[in-house]
Order: sequence, then structure tokens, then C-alpha cells
Amino acid sequence: MNGMGLLKGLAITFKELWKKPVTLEYPEKKEKLPPRFHGSFTLYSEKCIACGLCQQACPNKVIKVGSIKDENNKRKLASYEMEMKYCLFCGLCVEACPTNALVFNQEYELAKYNVEDIKLTLFKKEQITTGEGSENV
Amino acid sequence: MGENLFVGMAKGLRTWLESNHFLPIVTDVFLMLLAVVGVLGFLFLNALFLIYYDRKFGAWVQARLGPNRVGPRGIFQTVADTLKLFAKEIFIPNNVDRWPYLLAPVLIFTIPVMLFLVIPFGKGMVPYDLNLGVLYLVAVTSVETIVLWMAGWSSNNKYSLLGAMRSVAQMLSYEMPVIFAMLSVVMMAGSMKLSDIVAAQQKVWFIFLQPVGFLIYFIAVNAEFKRTPFDLVEGESEIISGPYTEYSGMNFALFFLAEYTNFMIGAIMVTTLFLGGWNAPFGWTFIPSWLWFIIKMYFVITLYMWTRWTFLRIRIDQMLNFAWKFLLPVSLVNIFVTGVGLYLYRMIRW
Amino acid sequence: MLKTQEISINVGPQHPSTHGVFRIVLKLDGETIVDAEPVVGYLHRGIEKLAEDRTYTQVIPYTDRMDYLGAMSYNLGYVQAIEKLMGIEVPERAEFIRVIATELSRIASHHVFLASMCLDMGSYTGWMYPFRDRELVLELLEMLTGSRMTFSFMRIGGVADDLPEGFIEKTKQYLPKILEGVDEEEGLIAGNEIFIARTKGLATVSVEKALAWGWGGANLRASGYKFDLRKNRPYSVYDRFEFDIPTGANGDCWDRFYLRLAEIRQSVKIIEQALEMIPEGPIMAKVPKVIKPPVGEVYHEVEAPKGILGYYVVSDGSTKPYRMHVRRPSFINIGMLKELLIGTKLADFITIFASIDVVLGDVDC
Repeated sequence: MNGMGLLKGLAITFKELWKKPVTLEYPEKKEKLPPRFHGSFTLYSEKCIACGLCQQACPNKVIKVGSIKDENNKRKLASYEMEMKYCLFCGLCVEACPTNALVFNQEYELAKYNVEDIKLTLFKKEQITTGEGSENV
Repeated sequence: MGENLFVGMAKGLRTWLESNHFLPIVTDVFLMLLAVVGVLGFLFLNALFLIYYDRKFGAWVQARLGPNRVGPRGIFQTVADTLKLFAKEIFIPNNVDRWPYLLAPVLIFTIPVMLFLVIPFGKGMVPYDLNLGVLYLVAVTSVETIVLWMAGWSSNNKYSLLGAMRSVAQMLSYEMPVIFAMLSVVMMAGSMKLSDIVAAQQKVWFIFLQPVGFLIYFIAVNAEFKRTPFDLVEGESEIISGPYTEYSGMNFALFFLAEYTNFMIGAIMVTTLFLGGWNAPFGWTFIPSWLWFIIKMYFVITLYMWTRWTFLRIRIDQMLNFAWKFLLPVSLVNIFVTGVGLYLYRMIRW
Repeated sequence: MLKTQEISINVGPQHPSTHGVFRIVLKLDGETIVDAEPVVGYLHRGIEKLAEDRTYTQVIPYTDRMDYLGAMSYNLGYVQAIEKLMGIEVPERAEFIRVIATELSRIASHHVFLASMCLDMGSYTGWMYPFRDRELVLELLEMLTGSRMTFSFMRIGGVADDLPEGFIEKTKQYLPKILEGVDEEEGLIAGNEIFIARTKGLATVSVEKALAWGWGGANLRASGYKFDLRKNRPYSVYDRFEFDIPTGANGDCWDRFYLRLAEIRQSVKIIEQALEMIPEGPIMAKVPKVIKPPVGEVYHEVEAPKGILGYYVVSDGSTKPYRMHVRRPSFINIGMLKELLIGTKLADFITIFASIDVVLGDVDC
């Protein structure tokens, strides 16, 4: 109790005074993210086989996979929607994907002005061909 | 040349006015008003800069960048903040005691302005050189308690009330050491006039003759102007914002600016009483006296900021104990030693 | 005599230093607390109930959300409980990765503790330095798991991913920096006379009392009781590392603060050893695609940053847990709060509350 601790504290802050800042001027400079970063999602729709495993793996029922059957009775992707407001970014869907069609990307600025914009539509077939196969959403 | 910049300007103006056959009273009033405007401008700009400097200093200590958006290196950050607060609605909560509530932010800013009346900024640069300058400083500073109490009581908020009670306890306790430390300086200088005190430090600054007094004063002034480690009145993590909790918009900005202006006055008082005021050290008179004054002031301000960004807040009972059980006895002993020393000194001389 | 009156003051749920949404109604006599009534539940999300409607794997992301500051221990406790129930042998490499990740997240959690306690006591700089160092830890965890706070990294039978390329080198490079930051914090805060005056002898908890209230972890060790699940009942591969169990002397706020500093040092020691010893091999055990534990129940405890974390899971043989209960250390810690507060000052409430190290997501679950 003689003030030495106070002086030591002052010495430490004085030393820190000359160190370089560790912060980043964010909107101008951005940090390099690791490849595993859990950002938003990218769907390689040509790889997707519309198996719906991601839909099942999701703990919060975020994902909605719509599929149609084509002429060879093969399932094809019709739509892929994610309710991002419920997403936990846990990565279970990415892990469940057997063809690596669904992956994380490096996008992290996900704030939106309108609530409707939060919904992420990764794939939407332009015109759903009628007659052949049924839509299953 | 720079030395007589302001004094010369005033003199020139006076001769010009007199040569144009204005009434002497008009000349006097005009020059006084000019001095007031000059002081107010200095005070306001300095407070704005101080807030910026404080934030920037904190950022440097903490390995951050600090404000860097508005203007070059963020220098206009506080200006932008103030403008923003200007534009905001002044929100008055239900059941506040309306008059004290609205009066407090106005009064809080008049106190520092009043204090500037007696401060010698440079050679011959005193707005009004009172005979009892030191007494005036002490008396006006302690009025701030009442204003804070007004704000805290009228806000109809328990946090504000707690903060106000803390401010009263704190100001009352630290007034004593402040006065006694000042008294030792007055004893050395033999006058209560601030310009005389500065003149007495022409050769040796009082910090070297009164090291204990300086330390006491340095700490007690810090407490009096409520800076960390003595920022209990605001105590953000405990009582939100103390007496300022319920204020918004420009009312809050006035409190905030007044806080920094007070802080500046603390630094000015340390400079004037212990660091030789506007006297140039080592006879370096090529730098004008008012610039020396500002340099010293900013040195003291930096010291205060350094402590602020290093220490943590002290508890209320410890704060009071520190004032009454440590600072006060030590300052009394210091006065006694000073008196004996002065007596002996005179005996040897004569 | 002057007439005096007690005032009751409502602190929280929105208050700068209630670490989230904790609320307490204090009765004050001047600045002295004469009565306190904590109110919890503002962050209740019903995670235990949510778990009943999720498959065993899907529960993992929810365990993160209890103590979001040291989430990895919560992952670990859950997956180990299920592994215990199913009798799964986890590959060694996975165990080492788990230990590294858990200790890293323990360091991050302790950093937040140090930082928030300093901030609550009025030191902005003491808050910034641990957060600066925590950034290093989070960078490592981000590299490993892809997330910074809610990792969902562990899986039943192993871990989600192997160590990424360059992880070991980067960790070795960062660990000395973390130690340096700990030394700095110790010099700046723990040795500071104001800090000592405010925390020494404040809210002293004896060993008996701490045990009676079920305290564990660093809070219990601060009272001087040498008990650490990592040493006393080793799980995972903790029995292979050499590390000390730091203990305090008085069980006051200062001890609780200092223990966290000491524990960061020990965690760094464990990580250093684990990085040296880590073997090659698979990172997942042979686990069936659909996890269906046998009918039964299991209780498993791990040493979380805030105390002893226990998972009690009942299985009815289906793919979803029949019931899950979590023994959350923060909830246990906060129980004693009222008793500690009475007779202290208002400013002490903040200090004591910070020193018992709770996170509200964990209290309310």
C-alpha cells in the first residue's frame, strides 16, 4: 500500500502509448477471413441433387428445398430458400450435404433494411414446367 | 513580438476608440465585452478540443485509433457531436421539478466562465485582477455542488439522487485539502492575488518548494473535478450517469462541456499555483508567455488523462476516508512545516 | 435524530454492468445495501425444452448458446455425455483437438471476465487489454471452427474438422502474446492499490460455504479448495498434461480475479503441451448415421470456465432426447449473490457480481 502498484500501472500504460493500434478501419480495410469462416451461403445448384438432407439436418428448420421430378423420374431442384433470421450458422447443413453443393462463403455483412430481404433465395427455377412431375415444396 | 500580441491588440483598440472620441465608459464596456468574448471563445474551443484529445489519448493508451472520421484525424468529431446534440429534442421526463431541472445545465456552465475572470493567461493578460483571487476561485468552485444537487434532486430519478449525494459528499471533503494546499502557496507568495502568485514564481516554481502541497493539490483537484479515479459522481457502471442521467440533447451537452471546462480549470490552477503560471522556464522568453501558459496547461491535462486512463474508480467510503484521514492531516502538517520554514528563512535573512 | 429513509432501487435489466439482462432490486440505506432481491429469467429461451424436439446432433448448436463466452466446454460436456451413453470411443487426435479448442475458449472466457470486472470498477484500459488479447484467441478459434463465439464444433464421436493448415504455428506464435497480456493485466490491475483496496476482504466465501452452495471451478478454488475436474476426475485426455491447480487464500473478490489470471497461464501451458503431443489419425469415431442411444440416462460433468458443468440426458431409445437438464455453473454461482451483498456498498454490488463470473445466457438458459 505505498503507491508502487499505481506507478507500475502508469508505466504500463505509458509503454502501451507508443505501440501501434491493433484495430482496423473497418469499412475501408477488411480482415482476411479464414477459409472455414461461417458467413452466408452459396449453393452450386448444378451439383445439388435436391435430396433434402440439409433440410433435415437443420436444427431450426431454416432451409426449404423445393424439388420437381423430371421426365426420367429424377428429382431436380426447383427452389432453395433459407429463412436467415432463424439461422444459427452452425454448419450442420453444409456438413450434411453429400455433394458439397451448399457451402459457406465469406459474406458477413448480412444486415438488411427490410425484414423481407432477410430471406435468402439461393435458387429459384425460372418457370416451373407444368405437366411433368409434381412440385413438392 | 508574439509576446504582446493580445495586450497590444487591446491597447491599439483602446487608442483607436479614444481617438475617435467615444465616451470613456463606452470604451471600457466595449473592451470588457471583447475580453469576455475572447475568454468564452477560448473556453469553448478548448473544451471541444479537450474532449477530442481525451478520447484520442484513451485510444492511444488502449492500442486503438480513436475518432478518425470527421475532419482530418477526426479533429471535428466533438463539433459534430455537439451539433448533433443541438438538433436533438430536449426531453423532459414526467414529474421532474421543472425549474431546477432546466436551470441546472445553464448554471453549470456559468461557473467555469465566472472562474476565468481572475486567471492570468499571460503577462498582463488578466480579465480582472482581483485582490482575493484565490478566495474567489475556491468560493465559486464550490457553488458547483449546488448545481449538481439541483440537477440530481429535480430529475426525479434515484440514480440521479445518489449521484447528487455523492457529489455533495465529494466536493465538501475535497474542498478542505484543496484550500489548505492553496494556503501553503499563499503563504509562500504572501498574497492572494493570482498575478502576485505567478510573479513570486519568477525564479523558483512552487512545485519545488512545495512538493507535498503540489501532490495534495494535484490529487484533490482531480477529485474536485470528478475525474477517474474519483469519478464517483458519474460512476457509469454503478449509477448510469449520476445527476446527468435524465438529461438529453443540448442540456446534456452543456453538462458534458462544463465537465471538461472544469477539468481545464483544474489544470490551469495547478499551472498557476505550482508550475509558475506564464513564466518561461530557463529564461526561454522567445516563446510568448501566453503560449507557455497553454503548453504547461496541456502538460498538466495530459498528466491527468494519463491517470484517468490507467486507474479504476475508488469506492465512496474509501474516497471520504482518503480525504479526511490522509489528505487533510498531511496538508495541515504541510502548512505547519511551511510556516516554520518561512519563519526560519526570514530569521536567517534578517 | 434526523429522520432517514431507505430507498429501493431497481438495477437492471438494462443497466451498464449487469452483464446482460440481470435484474436486482436493492434496498439502500444511503449507499449501504440492506436488502437485495435478484430477479432472473430475462434471457430464458427454454433450451432444455428445445432440446427435446431436436435430434441428438441438432442439440449441439443450442449448447453453444448457454455460455456464449466459453462455448466450447458446453459442446464438450454435451457430446461426452452422449458418447458415455452410447459407449463410443473417440479417436485420440479428436480428443487432443477438443482439449486445444476447449482451453482456447476457456482463455477467451476468462479474458471477458477480467475485462468486464475492470470495466465495472471503472478502468477502461483494464477492459481494453484483455479484449485485445481475446481477439487473438478468437482469431485462432475462427480459423479452427469458422465461428468466433458459437462454435458448434464438436460432434458426437469426434470433432467437425481437423486442425487447419498453419494452425499449430499460429497458435505457438500467439500464446506468448497472450501470456504477455496476462502479465500486463496483472501489473495494471491486480497490483493496483485502488483495486486491492476495493476487492481485498470483500465478499469472503469460506470453503464450507462455497461447497454448501455447490460452487465449483475458479470460484471454489479461490476459497482455497484444491478441486479441478480436469485433475480430480480426468475426462478426455486431461490426465496426460502437466499443469497446476492455482488456489486462492481468502476467497474474496481479489482472489477470484487473480485466479482467472493464473488459470489463463495454466491453460496456455496445456495448449502448449497438447500441440507437441498431438498424434496423427482420424478425427471421427465410427458413429452410426442416425444417432440412437440405448434407453437409459447419463450424467456427465466437465470443468467449464465458470464452474462445474453437468449434462443430464435421458434417452428413450428414439432419435431425440427424452429430457435434458443442464447444471449450469452460472446459475449455481448467482445463488449466493443475495447473501454476499447485504452490508456492502452499492459500488461493491457491481464488483461482487462481476467477481462471481456469471453470464446471463447461462443463468437463464
